[in-house]
Amino acid sequence: MKLLEVNGLSKNFGGVAALSNVTAHSLAGETLGMIGPNGSGKTTFVNIVSGHVRGDSGTVTFGGTNIARMTPHQLAAVGLCRTYQAVRVFSALSTQRNIDSARLLLDGRGLDTAELRELVEWLRLDRSLNKEAGSLTLFEQRRLELLMRLVLKPRLIMLDEPVGGLAVTEVNEMIKLLLELKSRCSMFVIEHTMRVIRELADRVIVLIAGEKVVDGPPCEILKNQRVIDEYLGTTHA
Amino acid sequence: MNTHTKFGIAAATLLALALPFLVEGNRFFAFVLGMTFISLLWATGMNLMYGFVGLMPLMFAGIAGIASYAMVYFTRTAGWSFWLAMPVASLIAALAGVALGLPSLRLKGFYFTLCSLVIQSVLTLAFIFFPKFTNGDTGINQIVPPDWFGGTRLKGFGFDFAIAVAAVAGVLFCAWLTRTRLGQRFVAIREDDVLAESIGITVVRTKIIAFFIVSLYAGIGGCFYSAYVGFISPRAFDVLVSLNVWLFVAFGGRGTIIGPIIGTAILAPIPFLLQDLQAFKEILSGTLIIVITLMMPGGIYGAYLKARSQRVSQSPEGLREEVQRV
Amino acid sequence: MSDANLLILLSTLSTGLILGAIFSLVAAGVTIVYGCVWLPNTSNGQFFLLAALVAWSFTSSMGWSSLAASIAVLLLGLLLAMLLELVLIRRLYDTPNRNIAYFVVTLGLTQIMSGIFSLTYAKWSDQFSLPPIIEGLTMLGPFPISNNRLLVMAVSLGVLALLFTLLRYHPYGRALRAVFQNREAAALRGVNVTAIYKLSFVLGSSIIFLGGILFALAYSFDLTVAWTMSITAFAIMIIGGPGSVLGALVVGMIFGFTQAIVSIFASPTAATFSYLGAMLVMLLFRPNGLFKR
Repeated sequence: MKLLEVNGLSKNFGGVAALSNVTAHSLAGETLGMIGPNGSGKTTFVNIVSGHVRGDSGTVTFGGTNIARMTPHQLAAVGLCRTYQAVRVFSALSTQRNIDSARLLLDGRGLDTAELRELVEWLRLDRSLNKEAGSLTLFEQRRLELLMRLVLKPRLIMLDEPVGGLAVTEVNEMIKLLLELKSRCSMFVIEHTMRVIRELADRVIVLIAGEKVVDGPPCEILKNQRVIDEYLGTTHA
Repeated sequence: MNTHTKFGIAAATLLALALPFLVEGNRFFAFVLGMTFISLLWATGMNLMYGFVGLMPLMFAGIAGIASYAMVYFTRTAGWSFWLAMPVASLIAALAGVALGLPSLRLKGFYFTLCSLVIQSVLTLAFIFFPKFTNGDTGINQIVPPDWFGGTRLKGFGFDFAIAVAAVAGVLFCAWLTRTRLGQRFVAIREDDVLAESIGITVVRTKIIAFFIVSLYAGIGGCFYSAYVGFISPRAFDVLVSLNVWLFVAFGGRGTIIGPIIGTAILAPIPFLLQDLQAFKEILSGTLIIVITLMMPGGIYGAYLKARSQRVSQSPEGLREEVQRV
Repeated sequence: MSDANLLILLSTLSTGLILGAIFSLVAAGVTIVYGCVWLPNTSNGQFFLLAALVAWSFTSSMGWSSLAASIAVLLLGLLLAMLLELVLIRRLYDTPNRNIAYFVVTLGLTQIMSGIFSLTYAKWSDQFSLPPIIEGLTMLGPFPISNNRLLVMAVSLGVLALLFTLLRYHPYGRALRAVFQNREAAALRGVNVTAIYKLSFVLGSSIIFLGGILFALAYSFDLTVAWTMSITAFAIMIIGGPGSVLGALVVGMIFGFTQAIVSIFASPTAATFSYLGAMLVMLLFRPNGLFKR
């Protein structure tokens, strides 16, 4: 069953085509990956789908509903949320208050105390609840970001470079976490380390200079000539 | 809320309500106290917008003016009781506040403040140049105190006490509001409105509610001000007044309940004690604005909280705990 | 066209040109500082007035010539700008979102200066003016214009042209524009961003002081010019585009002519009302103004 469907999405910024006629879809329950060099339009793609930016043309549907004109909070209400490339939390508030802010959307229909407790422990934030979110380590902040999204009980989480800035051991742990997350939620992961995509994604979309070049399982992508020439050759996977 | 805080709030409320009794004999001090309480009501409203939502609404005084002129119109021309005119006028001002704030909803930070400054200037010019309604720069005098039982007027001690009650009610309401889910939405918007939006907070709707409530505070304060002082003019509701109320909040400590109380208690009486030295008041005010912005953005209470939290966490990792702010 | 109408036309044109040039100068000063340092100087009107008042003091109580007074004020202004930068302005260079902090700080500065003026100049006179630098009249057809005003016109247009050339061709000017566009990129290219901040604040402020002197030479004034100038300069900056000197120029000229024309029919306050309205419309629909940086 198609969860997210994007058709012919285009976006121009002052004469530069950030996205050209991109068509893609994700299925419920799968983890879709998106890779491409810097500036290929990956973040623009997420920005449009998650309602931060309006596309110039094309359609975006989520679970059958047209979401092209929806704002981020409306999308959160229908189960689509995203994280940010540069981690974003309410730095001056405590971890607990960050979590409380995320619970405002669902109010009483959200997670009960036991479920929340379980999530907090799974993400190893139970010792940090009273600390200022800004004083947490980057890895802790990324886990907090995840927690805040999971509290929304989303159908799809879009993760923009979830391991950006993390040390090698932290990257391994994060991958483990995200693998466990696969069973709870459909995911859309943007990364430019091939390794993360290879382990997490069921299918990968390759974006180069705003165009979709190929889409398929990771092993196929890795053998695609154009991908090798224009992308993998320059990246350390 | 623990019993410690509850006790503190009860004690503070009783103290505030006792103050009018203490100054009953001295009309001058009673007047200063009355004006301070009105300023506290205003500062509490300003703090909601500036301290909790994170926007600096320099058109605050203009909104107070709208309510004031409307109240005077209802009581004088339409012969209404103050107690009907005041809520209706404040409601009108609140709706005006929303209407004026609506277009600037997408603006943030400096642009929002500049926009509100321009709106305030337009309001002041409107007050001056539509004399049919406002009597222009001459102002409206002989505004009577509110009507009371038995055909009398609420004057002297009675009025002082009523204003104290209004101010205390305003502060208590704000203290309650900031602990509700709406209050949490305010804070999330202040901290990072893009993030707030993406975790499902209805930023636009919440801001509109904030505009409404803050404008109510401005309006109710304005109505009491008019009846208390007995004279209003466009100067009573110009940008300098907005800036002044803002200073009470910034100086005392934005984003806390105690902050505006401290700021108002210290700063509001000064112009009355410095009667003839109006120009010095301007210089003092300007200096305070600069000092606070450059050196103490959290105000007096903010500096105190910061010092307290740094003492609490002397751990080697230097992790800061969020201190519970009243 | 009858002589009377020609007179009115030429008079309006000349007023429009002078006012426009002075408005453009002041707005250029404000926009340079905003575009570069991200400092919206709400006290620009007070700076403007300060220059005019001090020049008046030099000419009236010390008997200096207007020329000597003008030069002295410009030099003192330079020193004052450097002092302000040292004591106040540089504290916020590294703050994010400093534009609102600067906005508030300059509001405080406005209050301080306004208070000082109330205690001093307000007590000494209602109206102020400077004796002309050049005496005499020139006739443009039937229309007499004072040589002094011609001088003011020439100087303001000349300085504007100089400013333009500086920004376009001189290395300092280009560094300034680089920081305007993108400070990180400029820093990476080796531009000393802090030095550029200092330069642009001092330059921008000096231009504002110059504007005040020129205005005082052309017209008599009172203390209210401070806030009308502030509103006008901000409106020009917002409409022209924050950071755009070209915008300041074009919009400044338009405002100058508008003021000249409106003054024939209505009070100057009507013009101020319309500037506020125009600024509001711009803020709501196109906050980046008409011209790019």
